[in-house]
Amino acid sequence: MLQFLLDTLARTADLALIALGLSLVYGLAKFPNVAHVQYAMLGAFVAVALQRSGCPLPLAMVASCLAMGCLAVLLHIGVFRRLLRSGPAIAMIGSLALSMIIGALVLGFAGSSPLSYRLPIEAPLSLGEAMLARSQLLSMLTTLVLLVLFAIVLFKTRLGRSMRALACNAPLAAAAGLNADGITYWVNFMSGALAGLGGSLLAMNTSAYTNLGSDLLLPIFAAAILGGLGNPLGAVLGALLIALTETLVTNLNIGWLYGQAMAFIPVGYIGAASFLMLLLALIFRPYGLFDREVRRV
Amino acid sequence: MSPRHLVTPLFTGLALTLLAFQASAVTLGAVLPLTGSSASIGDDQRRGIELAIADINAKGGVLGEPLKVTIEDSGDGATGALDAATKLNTVNKVPVVLGEYSSSVSIPLGQYLVKQGLVHLNIGSSSPAIRKIGATSYSLIGLDDLSAQFAAKDVLGMGYRKIAFIAPNGAYGQGIYEQFKKYIEAGGGSVVAQVLYTPGQSSYRRELQQMQRSQPDVFVYSAYGQEAAVINRESFDLGIAKTPWYGIYLSMCTTDTPAQIANGQLGMEVASLGPAGKAFASEYQKKYGFAMKSSYSSYAYDGVMLAAAAIDQAKSADPSKIAAAIKSLGGTFDGATGTLALDADGQRTEQPYDKLVYKNGALQPRS
Repeated sequence: MLQFLLDTLARTADLALIALGLSLVYGLAKFPNVAHVQYAMLGAFVAVALQRSGCPLPLAMVASCLAMGCLAVLLHIGVFRRLLRSGPAIAMIGSLALSMIIGALVLGFAGSSPLSYRLPIEAPLSLGEAMLARSQLLSMLTTLVLLVLFAIVLFKTRLGRSMRALACNAPLAAAAGLNADGITYWVNFMSGALAGLGGSLLAMNTSAYTNLGSDLLLPIFAAAILGGLGNPLGAVLGALLIALTETLVTNLNIGWLYGQAMAFIPVGYIGAASFLMLLLALIFRPYGLFDREVRRV
Repeated sequence: MSPRHLVTPLFTGLALTLLAFQASAVTLGAVLPLTGSSASIGDDQRRGIELAIADINAKGGVLGEPLKVTIEDSGDGATGALDAATKLNTVNKVPVVLGEYSSSVSIPLGQYLVKQGLVHLNIGSSSPAIRKIGATSYSLIGLDDLSAQFAAKDVLGMGYRKIAFIAPNGAYGQGIYEQFKKYIEAGGGSVVAQVLYTPGQSSYRRELQQMQRSQPDVFVYSAYGQEAAVINRESFDLGIAKTPWYGIYLSMCTTDTPAQIANGQLGMEVASLGPAGKAFASEYQKKYGFAMKSSYSSYAYDGVMLAAAAIDQAKSADPSKIAAAIKSLGGTFDGATGTLALDADGQRTEQPYDKLVYKNGALQPRS
């Protein structure tokens, strides 16, 4: 039972930061940015490359966050702002194209072999019958700290209030004197930085590899949609739900169906399970599970 | 004669000389996984081939001409391998192609080559499905009906009865699983958990956890270099490395795994050296400065040697004549991996295997 809980939390930590970033940008830009997961992949490569060339791990991760934040802002100014003038569908197609370009560039530079941190091999921690790798523990703690920080920024600071206002009603917020452009840059920076951090933490468990982003695309989108696009903390809960579904599906003993002691659903089907859950949730709650907006009176 | 009148004959003469120079080497082809999860093995196969070229050319070459092998990268996939084979066939016009390593790549590669009338030499794949590739496909390495029988006997011999099995989902993994299960059950054991994992994933944690629930006596696994590294590291993180791990083709499984994690693993591997193999081993060490990195360089070496011997015997570089020569050489060809005897399907009849244990950073023999 404890192992089940730890596995769920570890998977949530993998998805949470990146889903948070995606939802954040959607709230402002109103289009799903498919290239967002590539910030995670790039962030992973930058952090691993820096750590392997001698940089201490925390510094490598911070540098990677800053780099990805800046990249997100630059791409927003150079690419997405222009595409958005033609509408969100065009912007999404553009983000898909950008995602493929980034993937191809990284494949050309870094090659197809995975790149991992140069970390000493440490025995896992054992909590009773459950096992937890130190890298998983670090990932979960860092994610938790960052989520708390982000919640504080969003609800207790002026910047957070402005972000929420802008996401809610952009023309009104601008009319009330908020600097829409400045806030947009900050939001893009934060979402890029969070994705980069998510990727660097993920690379502790799985190494940095070129398909890191595209492997995450579907679970991240499922998590963000479940939580309601535009609701950042909802995305975190969406990530928890997706992680729960995935872990449940692979831990369920369906031996009784076959008359065997043990039989499990093959791991290849966990994507299908998550999406089934998403589909069911959307049928009953189309705007996400935590939607409280009044749309008709 | 004015200089202008000399240009054409000079130019033609130069062109003909160049053409003649090019046509005078005997060229073979090789398709190897130089990138991807089996890259370390592909590199080792390349080293074996290069050693063979050096040895043959030192003795005067083939048919009196120097031997060349054009090595192409399969990219660890069938599409890349077929692209490489098409190039070797249509551009380089080679009569023989060696390759690859992974069965799910060697099978389509071999089928293409046989359709084009070329000779295919399998130097690394072992799925029983290789037997059906075609008439001009020959294997220098024994197939998995032999390896599974050996591995099953070894595992049962050590007293293990409840076995958890994991291998990649593909021609190789499916083939070895079927054969291994057959021999285990015939010997009184049972496979309590089996996973044919999807290759190329970044994590196999869930698969390992599913297998762990069956509480096996031993985990029997076979995985390509980098995937095996992930599996080994995650089994270490999950604490299940404490249960014995047995690797089929252990050198393939441990090639990219850190020594600390692989330490203590049991397994079997193709015997890389036959009685005549010591010369190969010391030559390898001398040329490259380190001991053989896997057991597969000697098979690649033997592949080139066999092709050269067949061309010399047939006195021609025509694929059908080379094929006939290979058939007649079977049983009398002594390579670095031992005596090669081929059965009616062109497959190796006897394959020696070694029992191994991973200790102190290297594979050691185990009695």
